[in-house]
Amino acid sequence: MANLVLENLTIRYGGVTAVNDISIDVAAGEFLTLLGPSGCGKSTTLFSVAGLNHATSGIIRIGDKVLFDGSKKTFVPPEHRNIGLVFQSYALWPHMSVADNLAFPLKLRKMGRAERDERIKEALSLVEMLPYAERFPFELSGGQQQRVALARALVYRPSLLLLDEPLSNLDAKLRERARVWLRELQERLNVTTIYVTHDQSEALAVSDRVAVMSMGHLRQLGTPKDIYERPTDSFVADFIGSSNFLAGKLVESNSTHNVVELGNGVRIKTAPGSAKADGSLVVAVRPERIEVAPPATDNTIEVDIAGSTYLGSTYQYAVDVGGGELRILTPHEIQPGRVKVRIPPEATAVYADRPGEA
Amino acid sequence: MTDFSETRAKAPFIDRSQLIFWGVSILTAVLVIGPIAPIVIQAFLDKPLYAADAGATLANFGRLFSEAGMLAIFLNTLFFAVLTMVVAQVFGAVMAVLIGRTNLPGRAWFGEIFVWPLFVSNLVIAFGWFTMYGPSGFITLAFKSWFGLAPWDLYSIAGMGVVAGLSQAPLAFLMCLGAVTKADAQLEDAARSAGAGPFRALWSVTVPMMRPAIIYSAVLNFVIGIEMLAIPLLFGGPSGIQTITTFLYDQGINAAVRPEYGIVGAAAVILLIVVAFLVWLQGFLMKGSGRFVTVRGKASRPALLDLGAWRWPAFGIVFAFLFFTIITVFAGIFLRAGVSFLTPLVPFWKLLTTANFELIFSSANYMRSITNSIIISLVGAFIGTFFVTLIALVARRSEFRLGRPLEYLALFPRAVPGIIAGLGFFYAVVWLPGLDVVRGTIWILVLAFILRYIPVGFGTISPALSQIGEELDRGARISGADWWTTVTRIIMPILKPALFSCYALLFIHFFKEYVTAAFLFQPGSEIIGTTMLQLVAQGDNGPVSALATIQVIITAVFVFLARRVLGARIYG
Repeated sequence: MANLVLENLTIRYGGVTAVNDISIDVAAGEFLTLLGPSGCGKSTTLFSVAGLNHATSGIIRIGDKVLFDGSKKTFVPPEHRNIGLVFQSYALWPHMSVADNLAFPLKLRKMGRAERDERIKEALSLVEMLPYAERFPFELSGGQQQRVALARALVYRPSLLLLDEPLSNLDAKLRERARVWLRELQERLNVTTIYVTHDQSEALAVSDRVAVMSMGHLRQLGTPKDIYERPTDSFVADFIGSSNFLAGKLVESNSTHNVVELGNGVRIKTAPGSAKADGSLVVAVRPERIEVAPPATDNTIEVDIAGSTYLGSTYQYAVDVGGGELRILTPHEIQPGRVKVRIPPEATAVYADRPGEA
Repeated sequence: MTDFSETRAKAPFIDRSQLIFWGVSILTAVLVIGPIAPIVIQAFLDKPLYAADAGATLANFGRLFSEAGMLAIFLNTLFFAVLTMVVAQVFGAVMAVLIGRTNLPGRAWFGEIFVWPLFVSNLVIAFGWFTMYGPSGFITLAFKSWFGLAPWDLYSIAGMGVVAGLSQAPLAFLMCLGAVTKADAQLEDAARSAGAGPFRALWSVTVPMMRPAIIYSAVLNFVIGIEMLAIPLLFGGPSGIQTITTFLYDQGINAAVRPEYGIVGAAAVILLIVVAFLVWLQGFLMKGSGRFVTVRGKASRPALLDLGAWRWPAFGIVFAFLFFTIITVFAGIFLRAGVSFLTPLVPFWKLLTTANFELIFSSANYMRSITNSIIISLVGAFIGTFFVTLIALVARRSEFRLGRPLEYLALFPRAVPGIIAGLGFFYAVVWLPGLDVVRGTIWILVLAFILRYIPVGFGTISPALSQIGEELDRGARISGADWWTTVTRIIMPILKPALFSCYALLFIHFFKEYVTAAFLFQPGSEIIGTTMLQLVAQGDNGPVSALATIQVIITAVFVFLARRVLGARIYG
C-alpha cells in the first residue's frame, strides 16, 4: 500500500496550460475522485500519473518512488510504474481472449504458468467474470467489458489504480449498480484509487475525497459532504448540485454573519463571507433549502409564484427577486399567487465573484 | 489479493525503443536522400560525378535549354500529362457514379474489370493497345479492310494521352467510388425531404463530395502522366515525339557511349522540382477538405439511383466501352502470344503456335527475368511491408520526437519519378564506395523498389493504424510493456489484415515495375519489365506478348490467392 503525492504539478501543451500547479496528497487506500467539466484537466492529470503524457513541472511520486520530477528531469516510463489503469473505452485488446488479456501483463512480469493461471482466476472471480475467461472482448456486453478491464488492471497487483470515467459508457441503471460494486471492491482490496469523472453524483457517492477542478486549477479538495455543503467558491457551488446566485451589496459584516441588501432593497442575513472592494457580492443558496411559507418570519422575502416545472419527485418554481432569478425546489405544489419564502442564513454562502468570474 | 505493495523488479534497461526509432529514421533518410543527392550534385558539375577534377557549374541548365527541340519536349510532356489527367478523371468519375450509385446491370463485374489495368504495368497495357490499335494492329487493319480507314492514330500525342488516361482512369475511379459509396445516406435523404428528386439529390449533394477525390487523383494522374515512360516510348518513339522521360531514358541509356551526365542531371532536377511542386500542390488543394468528409461510420448505405428505361442502353454503352478499351487490349496480348502472326486477314486458329512461349522457356535469360521478378516481389514486398510498418508505427504511434519529420521524409518518394529513382540509384552505386556489392544484383532493385513504394505501403498501413484506438497501446504500456513489445504483441496482430493488404499491393507494384529498373539492371539481374523493354526495342512482338501473358497470369494467380488466402484488400 502506498500513498500518491502530486506536488505543484503543471502540464502545458504549447501555449495552453492544461493543469496548473496542482498539489494533492492521496492517502494509502484512499478513493479520490477528480471531478470537473470536460476540458478541466482531470484526465490530463490522471494520464500524467500513469506516465502516458509528460508533465511540464512538479513532482509525482508513489510513496518514496519518484515517478516524475520536472526539476531533475526524472521520468519513469509507464511500463515501469506498476499502475493499473481502466480506460473509458476499456481498451481490451480485441485479438486476445479475456484470459489472454489478463495474462499479458503477467507474462511481461515473467510469471510462471501456474501462478499466472491462479492470479487470472482470482482476478476474474473478483469481478464475477470467471465463466467468461475464454470469450473475446467483442462477445461481451459493455458492463462485462468494464469488469474485465478492471480485472486486467488489478491482476498484477498495482500499487495504484487509476479509473478514467470507467462507467460513462454504461446505461443509467447499470451505472448506479456498478459504482456501488466498484466502491465495495475498492474497500475490500484497499487499493489507492484515483477516479476521474464529470458526473457529480457518481463522485459524491463513491469517493473518500473529491478534488473539484476547473480550467486546470484545483478549486476544492474535500469530502463529498464538504464540497456539497461548504463550497469554497462560486464555481464549486454552481458545479456541485445547483445553486441560486443573488447579487447584493454588503451592509454589515462580522464573524458570525453578514447582512446583505438585495437588488430590490430587501435585506437578509447570510453566512459570513467577503465581498469585492465596492461591497458587491453574490449570495448562493441551493433551491431545495429555500423554505416556502415558513413558520419563522426572519429572512423572508415575498415572491410571485407563476408557472411551475413538474420534475416527478419535486416541483421547481422560478421566481423573480431583486438581483436575479430564484429557483425553488419543493416536494409540495404551491398555488399561484404571492407567497413568502425564507432563505435560511445557515443555508447560504457568500462569494465576491459570480461563477465564471472567479 | 490483499498485497498491493508488490513492485516490479526494475532491471537497468538500454532503451531498445530509442535504438529502433533512430535506426528506422536513419535508414529512411539514407534511402530517400541516397538517390536524390547524386542527381542534384551531378546537375551542377561540369564533369561526371566520379571524376576527381569535377567543378561546380550552372552550364548544364544552359546547355539543356539550348538543346534543340527542348521546348517541344516540355510542351509534349505537358500536353500528354494534361490529356492523361482529363481522360482519366472524366472516365473514372463517371464510372464511379454509374457503378457505385446506380442500378446498372452487372455493375459489380464492370467494377472488377475496370480496375484490371492497375494490376499490370503501363508497358503491358501499351503493348496491348499497340497490338490491337497500332498502325498495323488487329482492329486497325480490320477497320481498314471493312471501312477503308481507321479514324485513330495511336502514334500521336492525342492517341498516347487517351491510352494513358484510360489506363489511369481506375485510380480516379477507386477514389471517387470511395467518396460516393461511403457518403452518409442521411445527407441525400435530407435533400430528398427538402424536395429534390433522386437524380437531383445525387447530383447536388453526393457528386460535389467527390471533389476532393477528383482533385487528389487528378494531381496524382497528372504526375503519373509526366513520369510515364512506356506509352511515350512505344507510341512516341516511332513518330519522333519525345517527352521528358523518353529524353532521360535515351540520354541515360546512351550515356555509356556518349556521356551526357550533366544534361541528364539537369533535366532530372527540373523534373524532380516540377513533380515535388505538384505533390505539394495536391496537399495544398486538399486542405480544408474536412467539409467534404462524409465517412461517419454509418452502416446505412445510400440508395441506388434507378436508371429506369436507361438501364439497358447504359449497360450496352458501358459494356462496349469496357470491351474495346480493356477486354480487347488484354485479349490482344494473349492472342498475339499464341500465334505466329496476328492479322484479321487470316483466321488466328490457322496461325496458332507455341513458339513464342518456347522461346521464353528455352532462354536462360528470359527465364531468369521471370524468376528474378518473382523473387524480388516475394522477398522485396515482405521486407518493404516490414519496413513501412515500422516507419508508420514510429511516425504515428511512438513518443519519438521526430515522428512527424520521419513521416514527411517517408512520403517524399511520391515526388520522385521512377526514372529518377532508378537514375539516382545508378549514380549512387557508381559514386558511393562500398555500394559495389549490390551493383548489378537484384538487391539494388529491391532497395530502389522499396524506396519508390514506401508511400504506397504507408497509405495502406496508416488508415488502418488510425482505426486502432490509442488506448490499446496505452493499456499495454501501463500493463508493463515497453514500446517494442506493445507494437509486436498488440498493434501488429490487430493490424494483420492491413499488413497482408500492404504486402499484396507492394508485390503487385514490384512485379509490374520496369521504369525504376531500366538503369539498374545488368545481365543476371534482369526482370520481366526490363526484358520486355529490350524485346520491344528489337520488335520481337511474339516473345513480348508471351512474357506479358506470363506476367498477367502470375499476377492474376497472386491476386486470387492474396484475396482468398490472406484476405488482402487490393483495389476494392
